[in-house]
Amino acid sequence: MSDLTWERLRDLDCGAIRALGDTWKSYVEQQLAHTDRLRAEVIDGHLSAEHFESDTATRVREQIGMTADRYEDDLSDYASTRIATTLFEVADAFEKEQNELKELVPLIDQHQFDIEGPHHEYDVNLSGDLHRAILTLNPPQWLCDMCGVQKPDGFWDVDTIKVLFNGVDLYGTAIGLAGQYQDWLRAVMSRAHDADDEAAAALAEMRENPTELPPQLGATYDDLVDDYKQGVSEEVADEAKSIAEGTSGMSPEQVNQWWEGLSETERQALIEEHPEWVGPVDGIPTESRDTANRTLLDNQIDGLGVQIAAKEQALQGMDPDSDEYERAKEELDDLKQDEKDLAKLQGRITDDDGTPALAEGPEPKQPYYLLGFGTQDSGRAIVSVGDPDTADNVNTFVPGTTADLGSATGILNRVETMQSDAQLAAPGASNATVMWLGYDAPDTIVPEAMQERWADGASDDLERFTRGLDATGQPDTNHTLTGHSYGTTVIGHAATQDGVNADNLVFVASPGVGTDTASALGVDEDNVWSTTNSLDPIQLSPDVLHGANPADDDFGGNTYHSDTGAWNANNHSTYWDDTNMAGRETLADIATGQR
Amino acid sequence: MPRRPPPGPLWRKALASLASLPPVRSIVEHLMDNPPEPRYTQAEAYAPMEAAAAEAVAALPDFPGFKERIWSELPATSGGIDVPGFTIVEITYVFSLPDSGTPLVRETYVDVLREHWTSLGYTVTRDAVKEKAGRTDRSLVAIRPDGIALWYWAAGHTVLRVQSGPVTVSEPEAIEYVPPSGGVMPGGRYDKVARYFPGGIPADRDAVDPFDSPDSYEDDL
Repeated sequence: MSDLTWERLRDLDCGAIRALGDTWKSYVEQQLAHTDRLRAEVIDGHLSAEHFESDTATRVREQIGMTADRYEDDLSDYASTRIATTLFEVADAFEKEQNELKELVPLIDQHQFDIEGPHHEYDVNLSGDLHRAILTLNPPQWLCDMCGVQKPDGFWDVDTIKVLFNGVDLYGTAIGLAGQYQDWLRAVMSRAHDADDEAAAALAEMRENPTELPPQLGATYDDLVDDYKQGVSEEVADEAKSIAEGTSGMSPEQVNQWWEGLSETERQALIEEHPEWVGPVDGIPTESRDTANRTLLDNQIDGLGVQIAAKEQALQGMDPDSDEYERAKEELDDLKQDEKDLAKLQGRITDDDGTPALAEGPEPKQPYYLLGFGTQDSGRAIVSVGDPDTADNVNTFVPGTTADLGSATGILNRVETMQSDAQLAAPGASNATVMWLGYDAPDTIVPEAMQERWADGASDDLERFTRGLDATGQPDTNHTLTGHSYGTTVIGHAATQDGVNADNLVFVASPGVGTDTASALGVDEDNVWSTTNSLDPIQLSPDVLHGANPADDDFGGNTYHSDTGAWNANNHSTYWDDTNMAGRETLADIATGQR
Repeated sequence: MPRRPPPGPLWRKALASLASLPPVRSIVEHLMDNPPEPRYTQAEAYAPMEAAAAEAVAALPDFPGFKERIWSELPATSGGIDVPGFTIVEITYVFSLPDSGTPLVRETYVDVLREHWTSLGYTVTRDAVKEKAGRTDRSLVAIRPDGIALWYWAAGHTVLRVQSGPVTVSEPEAIEYVPPSGGVMPGGRYDKVARYFPGGIPADRDAVDPFDSPDSYEDDL
């Protein structure tokens, strides 16, 4: 765990970290010149077959060639992808949070608050001076302004009496503001610690897995060289497996560099032979993930068919009144439900001829891309309408309570609507809209949606997904993260705990996003948007559950208007209905960078 | 200066406390389990919706023809959550990009439809103008007495949208093909209803509306 303190982060020289990354990059380029010379001047020059023709000479040339190959691979995998990129990424992450600190710490000082507590959970409390000022009826001007009272300037004048009667409000206001600064500080440090830990993991993984060198020339060379070559050929597969299993320590950006460094043959072999190491991995380009995931989907549906047949066979031999039968029957029903849900998803995104289907929408019609799926818990489904790797605007939608694999195609309708609205609002741009049901959503409003654990469980995955989109997409893509209901809580937790790569955050009908201030979200407050219609009962969510309503004035950021549906109905999910064109238009404008 | 005004009003906390009481919760849960009875089924909704689109088109002078028609759906909700078995049908007619930018389509048609829909007794629920860099967007929404909504939206493209409100989902085979209005060729490339007719769309029928389709779709995108 990172032991970075706010003071060390504030004083850190991020430029020095970045300069170190540059040094490693230039070192790689220098060293590649050496291996080029080795091949040109030694293998194909002085030691070429033209000058030396013997078995020994052949072995020497081969050994030098393998050593050069190994050196280049290590330069690429370690010096460039791991060390330099890690240094660049951590420098960027630290600098971003450092800039937040530069804004936040002076505010804390100005308001006479103190930062206290351990570095993993800082508190921002009222200082002794501020306590005294309030208790002696001499509150600071900023606090009087916030509470709407005149600052007393005489002994027991009218203003002093007003302050006396407003003492509770003064304290509450000061504590509330300190709480917002505390949320902000904790979010900054959480993201900085996350970046620190990720960088440490990437470097540690490199240290713990040194690569093998070619065997030395000598009596045992012939015995060892075949094993070495076999090992080299398996390295790509081993690395892909390690990345997919999350043990490589590599960030999505590093995964992307690794993928781009593979030969076309290696990439194709991984997609065909190990789609499970390609489909779910953030940082691998969308086209490749889609191909791999479609293969996995076919395989899983086929596999479920086999399991169902076997289970039905087994049931025939059981006593229908036994507990064993009951259990087996439940398992069978679950398998059938999974098969049905996956087939429904497959039917939606695939044409009858097996090719990827195009979503119904304005020209140009956009294909579906399958970026992930699963049947664990309530199920997972990540589908993009349009290619996020080539789009100018990418809007990722995170659904909320009751979202599951069975309802994924319904949610996809909503995603298509947002995509269609974006295309109509910005026909000159390319747009993609992603359904990110990459987490186990709460099944019930009471009690599951009242708990934070679903959002905490999703945080890291959503962070990686957004970083993956950033790595595979265009440099200037406008990324928006839109949540509905509990989906907003998921986004808020990811943004404050791990950080998300997004230009805009949109909270639709939020019960709270895990913080009381937009400042803590790590995204420019001007690009944080919230909407709650006036008849949506979600606004009654107590702050103690998921924090303040982001549509409240206190929260910061922006709000936009959404119209209500029927007055006597629950209006929590009417934001895309025919009663709320105003909200749809605004969301399309945000998602296409027109707000 | 402080970044934020003081915390929100107390009434919200009071209402929140009220909402957490068991009787209120049970009412909410009751509503969730008992969605309102829709006026149409999905299969029944397409015909009156298409008729509504055709009627709107008939009121528009010098109509240049739509470029495409799109049938789509949205989840229908009750009690604040998406309800299986219900959907909202949305039909979108899109003008070509050049036509979308003309004053006739962006301004005159808004005025004409406002007057036309009002004269028919429809309730205009939205009539908005939004200034943007390089263009002015307009949005006009009218609701018919039967709950069908008409939305004329002049944005990047200009569209006429018709929405059903919540309807019960129909089996795909129960959905009948309704030819498009406004010059879109039935069963053509721009008649985007293929999801409902995997066996093919009847392509030999005339459009409901007599307007000709454009001579060419070049430069439409």
